[in-house]
Amino acid sequence: MLATAACAGPAPRRAEAEPPHRPSPDSSLIDQPGAPQPGEWTLPGRDYAGTRYSPLDQITAANAGNLRLAWSFSTGFARGFEGQPLVVAGMMYVVTPYPNKVFAIDLSRPGGPLRWSYTPPTDPASQGEACCDVVNRGASYGDGKIVFNRLDNVTVALDAKTGRVAWQTTLGDIAKGETMTMAPLIVGNRVFVGNSGGEMGVRGWITALDLGSGKVLWQATHTGPDLDVKIGPRFKPAYDWLKGKDRGVSSWPGEQWKIGGGTVWGWVTYDPELDLLFYGNGNPGVWNPDLRPGDNLWTTAIFARDPATGEAVWAYPTTPHDSWDYDAINENIPLDLTIGGRPRKVLLQMGRTGYVYLLDRQTGQVISATPFEHVNWSSGVDLKTGRPQVAKDKETHEGVNTTGICPAATGAKDQQPAAFSFRTKLIYSPATNLCMDYKGTSVGYIAGTPYVGAEVMMYPGPGGNRGEFIAWDPVAARKVWAIPERFPVWTGALVTGGDVAFYGTMEGWFKAVDARNGKVLWQLKTGSGTLGNPITYLGPDGKQYVAVYSGVGGWSGAVALGLDTTDPTGALGFVNGMKDLPSYSQPGGTVYVFALP
Amino acid sequence: MSSRCRSAAVGAGMLALLAVGACTQGAGGSERPVRGRSMPAADSTSRAAGVNPGIHPAVVLGELRNPYTGDRSAIATGQMLFNAMNCAGCHSGYAGGGMGPSLRDSTWIYGNSDAQIYSTIVEGRPNGMPAWGGKLPEEQIWKIIAYLRTLGTSNEPVKPPKPAYTVYQPPK
Repeated sequence: MLATAACAGPAPRRAEAEPPHRPSPDSSLIDQPGAPQPGEWTLPGRDYAGTRYSPLDQITAANAGNLRLAWSFSTGFARGFEGQPLVVAGMMYVVTPYPNKVFAIDLSRPGGPLRWSYTPPTDPASQGEACCDVVNRGASYGDGKIVFNRLDNVTVALDAKTGRVAWQTTLGDIAKGETMTMAPLIVGNRVFVGNSGGEMGVRGWITALDLGSGKVLWQATHTGPDLDVKIGPRFKPAYDWLKGKDRGVSSWPGEQWKIGGGTVWGWVTYDPELDLLFYGNGNPGVWNPDLRPGDNLWTTAIFARDPATGEAVWAYPTTPHDSWDYDAINENIPLDLTIGGRPRKVLLQMGRTGYVYLLDRQTGQVISATPFEHVNWSSGVDLKTGRPQVAKDKETHEGVNTTGICPAATGAKDQQPAAFSFRTKLIYSPATNLCMDYKGTSVGYIAGTPYVGAEVMMYPGPGGNRGEFIAWDPVAARKVWAIPERFPVWTGALVTGGDVAFYGTMEGWFKAVDARNGKVLWQLKTGSGTLGNPITYLGPDGKQYVAVYSGVGGWSGAVALGLDTTDPTGALGFVNGMKDLPSYSQPGGTVYVFALP
Repeated sequence: MSSRCRSAAVGAGMLALLAVGACTQGAGGSERPVRGRSMPAADSTSRAAGVNPGIHPAVVLGELRNPYTGDRSAIATGQMLFNAMNCAGCHSGYAGGGMGPSLRDSTWIYGNSDAQIYSTIVEGRPNGMPAWGGKLPEEQIWKIIAYLRTLGTSNEPVKPPKPAYTVYQPPK
């Protein structure tokens, strides 16, 4: 699908050798299925592949130093502000953290006044079911509708012009610990959504809805009998240990699978050529692995499904019997790359595990798994069996304090998504450099309350910088450059046809860097820490703008919302790794928009 | 709201009157969601709990005091219950907070008197705190409160652990 762009050309050269940027008039013609008009941003990752690449090229390495604030908009909600706005037909759409208010900002008028806003009747009790702050990762646009998920498990479609509710469908139950935080993906007339609650003993699922009516088309769970998981004749996993009937039951003790996790709170991508949907799911419940002997299928797994029927085509669990909370929910980017001289249809995931996975997206077979941060929980992935080679001394158990595990439960990267440039052929990715102590503890299941059973404390990994922003060459499987940061980088990445990449820090710095060499071209301190994913668009005035949310919180920034740093196990151990964050960043909730003068 | 109130009413007899009162007023539609940690809810529940001007529960119920304050054995049991009943799941193992607010600091969103903390646990609160009335006996709730009073003091029965590393260094 992305063949013309991704296969052509040699491996990227060193930055110094790059010629100055030349505008490429044909860059908007690059084959990016699902991408909107060049000036718009209608899906969470902009195109079906979730590349977060925009062909816009007014802002270049040569002029990015002149960027300045164009306007800002305070939402009034000072909680962790993940996700990204959408821009369609001269309007910007913003979904806030709980209560998931939606703002429609008119970009055609000075200062961006509101065309409409919508406050849903989201149940306040849902705030007590959200593991990691009351975040929301954004909306998708299709057929004149803005579609998003409420924290209390209602998928809502609003008329983009009026803000009126077109339909709403209730899909989960907060009394069981379920919430919804992910951004839906719209492909054709279908909307794909999933649940959150891996820390609450939830049974994870993905669901397809009809875009016209909100009717449920199909639902597939990630634990339990094959019938529920939608494993049937079309399911062909790449490895023998994944074969057999009802492995989503037999790889668990007793009925543990019923509260076994495998939630879908990250990103969904799509390949129209193979007509396959890709996504990963979350950790097995409970965090204490001794309570669930077995491979705990189909959790921490990357799935390929038929979008029409939901049938599973293959699945690949990155950490069978996970004992570190390495959810596999990170974005899966389909790319066509030449690997070892062979053209391959690749699915790339920057994993929480610390590995960059290249899978064959037709079969689910691992092509390679290369560490991009410090990894010691395993020595690699056995390419014959597809299983990780786990370091015995980094396994976790009940009553045992396993120390110095890298990466921490946060992963070497969490949900904040990477970007791929069709010009440099590089992946741009946020990264986290934290390690942890992890002790399994006894815990009983009480519906609607956390089901974790682990005492975790995090701290900086080797070198001491807790994060970085990296450029990764997916063909050569190596880091091309890295910008170290004090805190984990918790924004997504954006890269443009002007060869400029954008990201933000948890202190609140928003940065433009030269995509070819990582040189910081410009930065501005926003009012709060940034966790949102930058986007770029053309305003009605024909100018290129860049937008990002600023609002600290989420899991990584929970300590800035008022937790007590004398309990190092707070926020599932993240507090210990971020004790100094409140000195740099206080809560906020603002949309920032930047442009050249 | 109704199920929360029902379970509250099943709970400790001492607060049954209060819970029913909150239920009636809550059903009247005066309850509204309040975000964040510092703003008390301007609803009937919190008014009953004495956060806003109104009748303090102690006035209604007489002087309500924790019989276990300072009792070492009760504090140890309270610490055990805090974990076993999953208070720790939301408020973290040493109550520094996570999904739920910190209970180690000096901020008590719904009031810091024994009666206020008791009614918060029994009734639940609208922004995510479940109602434990009917699930936890009165005596156990008081023991948990006795434990909460020791947090950050020399009487804290199990002190927060220290991580193995300040900055992880891989072995050579």
